[in-house]
Amino acid sequence: MIDEALEHLVKGIVDNPDDVEISEKNHRRGTTLEVRVNPEDIGKVIGRNGRTARALRTVVSALAGESVRVDLIEADEVR
Amino acid sequence: MSDENQVETADLIEPVELEGSNVKKDPKDLIKQLEEEGDIAADYLEGLLDIADLDGDIDIDVENDRAALAITSPTDSAGGLNHLVGERGQVLDSLQELTRLAVQTSLGTRSRLMLDIENFRGDKKSRLTKLANEVANEVKTKGEAIKLEPMNAFERKVIHDTIQTLGLTSESEGEEPDRCVVVLPQ
Repeated sequence: MIDEALEHLVKGIVDNPDDVEISEKNHRRGTTLEVRVNPEDIGKVIGRNGRTARALRTVVSALAGESVRVDLIEADEVR
Repeated sequence: MSDENQVETADLIEPVELEGSNVKKDPKDLIKQLEEEGDIAADYLEGLLDIADLDGDIDIDVENDRAALAITSPTDSAGGLNHLVGERGQVLDSLQELTRLAVQTSLGTRSRLMLDIENFRGDKKSRLTKLANEVANEVKTKGEAIKLEPMNAFERKVIHDTIQTLGLTSESEGEEPDRCVVVLPQ
């Protein structure tokens, strides 16, 4: 659910929604969600002073009921 | 100092250059645009509620030249949507920010829409309105300015608006997060 929720939130605020990809990584210390976006959109999802990135983290953590790490990555980086 | 109110009335959250398109538009066009903002915002929020399997009624309105959306849970069962408000409304503010961006992405113009969940802002507003009334009375009787506690932009705006309707003036002073409203005698 939480990855889908994040996908929805991100797709709504970027110019290239089809390029948005989410991958979930569970590890001992909790969950990390990696968000890949089109390089054109990276500034948008981070926002001024990281404001948008912080908003995404806050909402996703509230939905998950625990602190979730959200990493924002440009899609064309080597996997 | 006197034009600081103006800035806050123009935008609560951050100083934003007024869009020419908004200012010059005829009122009917403005309302139409705000209704469109409301619809896009509602779609965005509804999509989120669906995914999270949360029940919520979304009410769309236009208030004070802004689109206003309010989400309430139909029954108060299981704590409703209070986790989407969060401590001191932090989650609510984040969700409002993202919803504004979604509207901006879709329409290409900045949105100043207001989001409320479980009447968090509404309740806060009525408390603040009451406070403003009490302070205004005190200022009128004593003839001295009163400085209030530090408040965020939303809270200050509620105070300024109320003070104005009571025939007094107020201004903000200090820097965030310690910015306060000062209510001035006539």
